[in-house]
Parts: sequence; C-alpha cells; structure tokens
Amino acid sequence: MKKNDYIEILLSILAALFIGGIVIFIMGFNPLAAYGELFKGAFQGNFGFGSTLAKFTPLLLTALAFHISTTVSVFNVGVEGSLYLGAMAAAWVGFGLTGVPAVIHVPLCLIAGAAAGGLWALIPAALKVYYNVNEICTTILLNYVAIDITSYMVNFPLSSKSGSPQTPSISDSASLTEFMLPSKANTGLFIAIALFVVLYWMLYHTTMGYRLRSTGANPAFSEYVGINPKREMMAGMFISGALGGIAGAIEVMGVYGCFLDNFSNGIANNGMLVALISRGDIRIIPVMAFFLAILQSGALGMQRYTSLDDSIISAIIALFILFATMQGLFKLKTTFGGPKKHTGLKTGSEK
Amino acid sequence: MSGILNYTLFHSMIRNSTSILFAMLACSITQQANILNVGVEGIMLVAAFTAVATSFFTGSWLLAIFAAIVAGVLIALIIAVANIKYKADIFAVGMTVNMLALALTKFANHNILHASGSFTSQDIKPIPDVKVAALSGNAVVDSLFNQYNLMEFIGIILIFVTGYFMYKTVFGLRTRSIGMNQMAALTAGINVVKQKYVVMVISGVLGGLGGAYLSLGYTHMFTENMTNGRGFMGVAAMFFGNMNPVLGWVGCLLFGLLDSVGSQLQAYGIPSQLILMQPYIITVLILSAVLIVRKRKKTKLQSTNAGEA
Repeated sequence: MKKNDYIEILLSILAALFIGGIVIFIMGFNPLAAYGELFKGAFQGNFGFGSTLAKFTPLLLTALAFHISTTVSVFNVGVEGSLYLGAMAAAWVGFGLTGVPAVIHVPLCLIAGAAAGGLWALIPAALKVYYNVNEICTTILLNYVAIDITSYMVNFPLSSKSGSPQTPSISDSASLTEFMLPSKANTGLFIAIALFVVLYWMLYHTTMGYRLRSTGANPAFSEYVGINPKREMMAGMFISGALGGIAGAIEVMGVYGCFLDNFSNGIANNGMLVALISRGDIRIIPVMAFFLAILQSGALGMQRYTSLDDSIISAIIALFILFATMQGLFKLKTTFGGPKKHTGLKTGSEK
Repeated sequence: MSGILNYTLFHSMIRNSTSILFAMLACSITQQANILNVGVEGIMLVAAFTAVATSFFTGSWLLAIFAAIVAGVLIALIIAVANIKYKADIFAVGMTVNMLALALTKFANHNILHASGSFTSQDIKPIPDVKVAALSGNAVVDSLFNQYNLMEFIGIILIFVTGYFMYKTVFGLRTRSIGMNQMAALTAGINVVKQKYVVMVISGVLGGLGGAYLSLGYTHMFTENMTNGRGFMGVAAMFFGNMNPVLGWVGCLLFGLLDSVGSQLQAYGIPSQLILMQPYIITVLILSAVLIVRKRKKTKLQSTNAGEA
C-alpha cells in the first residue's frame, strides 16, 4: 500500500464516523459522548478489552483466509462454510476423544478443523481450476450447504440432547485457556497471531510463497517458468479453507466450548471485507481487523449509553468499508504527488 | 408420495420462485454489461422495507411499489457510482451494500416502525391477488390458474420484456457488446459509462419490484434480513441461465419447486436441513455440468479442427 492508500483509509474512517455522528445527533444523543462510550466499551476493563480481543481472533483468521485465496486470484467467499465445518470437526474431536492430554488434544482439534475447512474449500477450487466454474457463485451457494450440514449434525447425530441445538461440551483437555475473565478472550489469539507471522513469512520469504504469488500475478508466466498454476491455486484454496476451519475451531475451543447451531452470523463475511479494504497488503490486515473488532465490541458500550442498538455501528462499519473500497474518493492526487496506479485485487467478474 | 406431488405444487412453485426471478432479472441485465451485481440482495432488502413502510403509512400498495422502486434505484446507484466512477471492486461494493442494507433496515425497523425482529400490521395494504370468478368453480383449475399475485404475473411478463430488450434491440446489443469486449464497445462509439449507469438503474427497478413482492405479495410483513439469500439465489439462477432471462427462469422455477417439495417433505419427518440444502447443491451441480459439457465440446472442436488442418 502507498501513502495515499493509508490516508484514504483514514479519511474513510473519519467520513463514516462523521455520517454516523450526524445520525446519532438526529436521534437526540451527543455523538462525541456516544463515540467516547464506544471506545470505553472496547478498551475498559477485562470485559471490554477482552471482548475486543475475542472478536479480533476470528476476524484476523478469516481475513487472512480470504487474502491467501486472492493471492492466487481465487475469490473464496466460502470461508464462512469452512469456518462452520472446521468448528464442527473440532467440536467432534473435542468431545469424542477423552483421556488424551491437552498437549495432544488441542493440536488434534485444530488439525481436524483445518482439515475439514481446507477439504471443503477444495470443492469450489477444483471446479474453478479444472472447469472454470465461477467460484464466487459456487462458494456462496456452498456456504448454505455447509451451514445446513452442520445444522443437521448438531440437531440429529451429534446433538447433546439437551433441548438446545448444540453438541455435548468438549472435554477440558481440548479447551483453550481463557484469560481476562469474564470476557471470552482465549489463547486462540496467540495461535491467530502466530499463523499471521507464519503466513507472512511463507508468502514473502519462501519459494512456496513465491509460487503462490506468481500464480496470482500472472498464471501464464508462472506456467512458462515451470510453476503449475492449477496446483498452486488448489494449494492456496486449501490454505484459505484451513485458516477458516481453524477460526471456527478456535471459536468452539475457546469461546463456546461446544458447537452451537448458527453461531457465526457472518464472521467470515466481515473478515472478507477486512481483507478487501486492506487492498492486498497483508500487513494492514491485523490493523483493520483490530479496528473492526473495536467497533463491534464497543457497540455494546454505546448501546448502554444511548439505547441505540448495534445496527448503527454495523451501518458505520459498512459505510467505512464502502468509502475505503472507492479509489480516489477524497481527491488526494493533487496534494500528494502524481496520479497513482491501483494494484488492488481483481475479481473473477473482471475478465 | 402422491401427497407430495400433486397439483397444488405448481402454484407454490410459482410463488416461491418469483422473488428469485426478480433478483435473477436484476443481475442478468447487469451481467450482460459485465457487472456482477451481488448487491441485488441489499437492493431487495431495502426495497422490501420501503414497500412495507410506505404501505403502512399511506395505505396504498401502488405508492408502496413506486417507493420500493425508488429505493431500489437509489441503492443501485450507490453501487454504480462506487463501481463506475470510483473504480471500487464490484464484488466488494456489492457485499458492503448488502451489509449496509441489513444495518439500515434493522435501524429503520427499530426507529421508524418501532418494531424489533419483524413488523406486521393490519394497516399494511398488500399487493392484491388476481382473482377470476369464472375459474374458481373447480378446485384444480382454481389452484393452477387462479389467485396469483399481481407481481407474479408482472414477473413472468418482465422475463420476456427483458429478453426482448437484451436480444432484439439496439440497447441490448450495446449492453451485451460491453460485456463481450468493453474496449471494442468503446471503440465502436458506445458511451460505456452511460450504458452501465442505465443498466444499473434498470437493475435497481427490477430489484425494487422484487423487494416489494417479497414484503407485500409473498408475505405481508417486514422481517429483518427477510431476503435471506434470495438475491444470491438470483445470482445463481443468472449463472444457471448464462445471463439469458428465459433460461434463468428455469433455474428460478427449480429453486421454487425444491422449496415447495421441501416444505411438504418436512411433514414426513425428513430433517429440514437435508431438504433446505438441496437447491444449493443442485445449482452447483448444474452449473458445473453446464461448464464441463461446454469444455468437452470446446476441446472436441479444437481436436477436430486440428485434425482438418
């Protein structure tokens, strides 16, 4: 990302907050006080800051998942599906296995989640790579299938029979350690950060990363220099799905303690938008994910103060992302040097 | 099985497919100009809310449809300006607009209609059904041909109107030429920017009608997130029909049929989740099958051409 991009993102945030502020003002509240409550809610005390961290973890992982798929120029909208299936797999291993020490049980659950999510992502990947079936369409559709599959499993074969649609609780040896109680923050946070570091290193400092990036940048050239772009695309999608699966596994192992029907409510969609506003720059992803996490967890604090529900915060987030996706919305060309060239993402829709 | 597959299925298939049909039309027409309009979900949701609110406050379903169209066009224009003027990625804008629509309608539902979750009232004037007294004598005839909602007729008429405009008029030719090769269209003197805006406005009108149908025809209420993926199913139906409205309609009818059969199978104790996922699986299978066959044909053609040469 260039300097202009950073400033554009900053201005997008300010513009969205400004418009939100006007609405809050019209509703009869003091916008500055409301935003003050928002940031207090996101940072104050164990509960506030812990909730922000708990929301940050899946946002970071799903944003990375989406980023890695766009690196190989595939648009994986199906991270949500991988997240659900990964969560289900982790829950299954979590309550199914007993008498295993935590050192083995926790990694096993994570691997199960990653495998389930990754394999699921290979379906649209194979259709895209070998038959050119539009992956945006198939992944959107397969998300519904994944959610229905997990909903079926949690209601019938794997039901806890407790009346509510959830699996039995996972055993203690499979749980991630919580901290900053009573918030839901857990050691999954460190797993997510570690995965970010590993992914960054892999993408920019290994040949595998070079192959992936080269495939996305120019498949014809890659093939010429001896890279198999089809294989790289499949690999990228597997990693993408696996990250989504791990995000789901961490939600189960760290936050809920079991698989809950329909628990996600669009986590991966938000992650995808985080990746989109980061304009293909992996280093910005944690920053943006953290910012979105602040807004989301702070919404509760603001709700206590203003009686405005969290839909206003969702609207502000949506406006911010909308502004951030527009290029040159704030006409910075004259102020900060010559015309800039955009090097952002390409969708499958731009043929 | 005879309890499931009977004549009433036809009527409910049409009912269930109509909202998807409007979404399919709205994104078929933009896809012809190479705009993948995933924002149709958001267009429909905002339109659905506007329709209910207008009908509730004015007591007129005609005004409600009009307001829904205006709302649909407004949202479509947001997408159009972001994508065409500010070069925002169409997919990102579409998904963001869906998120914005969800938040805005939820906010308005709380603060204008003072309802949470869903809003329903005696004062909502729905779009009327078309009833022909002469047909209501026989139960079978009545179910097959009578008592359709006005919008269900309009939807079917619009398929052919859209098809005609796309394939038989200069307007359609220009739109399709943008989709085929934007540079060539530009060179041929077509005002690509204007054409894209016009197409997006039409898409907003169609999505607006779909939203109005959803909240004033299909149901008589507004529910938060009531589109619930219907816009995406419209996108899928568009891919199914390869941008052709008539073929896309077949996809919509398939969705509608599975939906109707599914709700009846539920009564037989089959888990609803297993039924609900069928339309999505079938669409993926059909999409794949269409493209696999197309690829086979292409390679066959290439090999025969190579043989002749």
